[in-house]
Amino acid sequence: MNSNFITILRAAVFVVLALALCGVIFEFAGYSAPAMFTSIAEGAFLRSGGLTQSLRWAIPLFITAVGVGLSFRCGFFNIGAQGQFYAGAIAATCAATWLDGAPALVLVPLSLVAGMAGGALWALWPGLLRLRSGTDETITTLMGNFLATLLLIYVTTGPLKDPSGSGQQSSSRPLAAAYRISNSLGLSPTIIAVAVVVGVLMWLLVNRSAFGVVASLAGRNPVMVRWQGAKVWWLGLSSFLLAGGLAGLAGTLEVFGPNGRLVGGFLPAHGFTATLIALVANLSVGGTAAAALFFGGLASAALYLPIMAGLPSAAIDIINAAIALFITARSARVDRVLGRLTGLASSRGKAP
Amino acid sequence: MNDLVVAILRSGTPLVYVTLAGVVAQRAGIWHLGLEGVMIIGAASTIIGIVLTGSLGLALIAAVVLCVLASVLLWFTIEKLKANPIIAGLGLTGLGVGGTTLASQSIFGSQASITAPFGLPRLGEAFGPFASLSVLVAAMPFVVALLWVLLRRTRFGLQLAASGEHPFAARGAGVEPARMRLFALAFGGVLAAAGGAELAAGSLQIFAQNMTAGRGFMAFAAVVFGVSHPIGAAFAAMFFSLVGALGIRAQLVFGDAVPHDLLLALPYIATVFGVWLSGRLRGGAASSAFGELRDY
Repeated sequence: MNSNFITILRAAVFVVLALALCGVIFEFAGYSAPAMFTSIAEGAFLRSGGLTQSLRWAIPLFITAVGVGLSFRCGFFNIGAQGQFYAGAIAATCAATWLDGAPALVLVPLSLVAGMAGGALWALWPGLLRLRSGTDETITTLMGNFLATLLLIYVTTGPLKDPSGSGQQSSSRPLAAAYRISNSLGLSPTIIAVAVVVGVLMWLLVNRSAFGVVASLAGRNPVMVRWQGAKVWWLGLSSFLLAGGLAGLAGTLEVFGPNGRLVGGFLPAHGFTATLIALVANLSVGGTAAAALFFGGLASAALYLPIMAGLPSAAIDIINAAIALFITARSARVDRVLGRLTGLASSRGKAP
Repeated sequence: MNDLVVAILRSGTPLVYVTLAGVVAQRAGIWHLGLEGVMIIGAASTIIGIVLTGSLGLALIAAVVLCVLASVLLWFTIEKLKANPIIAGLGLTGLGVGGTTLASQSIFGSQASITAPFGLPRLGEAFGPFASLSVLVAAMPFVVALLWVLLRRTRFGLQLAASGEHPFAARGAGVEPARMRLFALAFGGVLAAAGGAELAAGSLQIFAQNMTAGRGFMAFAAVVFGVSHPIGAAFAAMFFSLVGALGIRAQLVFGDAVPHDLLLALPYIATVFGVWLSGRLRGGAASSAFGELRDY
């Protein structure tokens, strides 16, 4: 309990440190830091309708981030969520193009499955390289992001390009209205239901199943788990596939929901933000939901800042980047100080 | 033909300088994914410095100082706060890209690209077809050679490599790996500043938002593909820019028949292959070379 509390507090300390660094950068760049933070809070949560918009951005981030969290939990540093997100979106669009004309009740579920399969496939090769040859998965999954980004540009300007569109725009043909699962605002009962189902299933998998227990152990001490007879190979492969599948699902939801088509280079920071969310949440499913809402709020503020407050949206990129710089920090000194502070607080609480 | 060589030198030189920064960091045991961020800081501060002060010298000093500061910030989070080098490096890249966008918007009040009245000195008429290239292009082979001497033929280079390959052995020999990594990242900051300055002020004399456009990651790919050897990595970087230049030519000649985007994928595929190969040759865990740094 106490160690959990320290974990949360440590994440909070580093987020605050990151925000302080951002404040310094804002002041240096000639903006008023308090005004900037106030506008961001307004854009994310305080304005009317702000919370719904934040939820719209939080849902795909949450779906991707629980998958990333699972593979980190197993000890695999899969940072390829962006590539898996794109691969899923591409696969789902291919399925939708191929099945075009089928009833929506057939096409949409099949495309969702195709999207998950596409994302899983994009996670499969780094997973196999890691498990069979010991190839460092951080580098291969990162390179997979660039490859998928180029592949997305290629298919949206080549094979899947909208023939009626102008020469400049790289996007696929728009989906028929019957196949869309939300309007362009991006929130609908279907999307919320998918997010809830993913959240509940992943929570059960991590907290209430043998797989979850072994996965957490494998992340901390793979040698011990292997000695106890668990199949680390199988565990690792399924964690890669699940993470990829969920990122692919998030990409599919973007195509069938708010976008309504496949657009070249859409949401370029999605995977990076989802990775941050998993790290900020310290890989727990409940924490991921809370952190996704926070980062979803920042994403919605990025749209609000330049239009309503006349401030550059790069401010949000800077906040995300600064959090990334510090969030994996494991400073013994900070832990010691936090332990002393919390110890002080609890003894004070107990004192008569 | 001369045109093609000039084009390759022009696009390849910034990449080589940034690749060398990555080589130094890699040898000290840090997979440097902040290269993109440090490079764009160098590019932006060169152009903004020239516009604001009117002096190339002051602008270059500002670029070097800011790039070294950014690299030291990365060192601090990795070494002192024990952060994961990959995530922290990506964070530094984000800070660099976002920070330079923010700075150029606040100083010049618009999102348009910034044009400087002059750039780095050019080689001049004496060099014939290469007259329009900057002095940093001509200096590049010498920098590569000097770095090779520094890394492969001096005590310092050996200590640096030891800190990366076997930190415990290095410490046993009285070398402090953390301090060597500080030197490596700070020195890499100088090289990346040169790369950014060459990119922004070497031929175009402009700074545009996100103008590095993934060159930092391509440099990282060159480091891995060139097995973190200064000459090998420099050749890898030149090879990638050759492929890029040929891809643009092919597109001009053959139109959309050549999938240009797929040619651009080559550096990343080469990197995957390089990491796979080094994992095969050196054993899985050693290939990542985080040593005591890798801790999550």
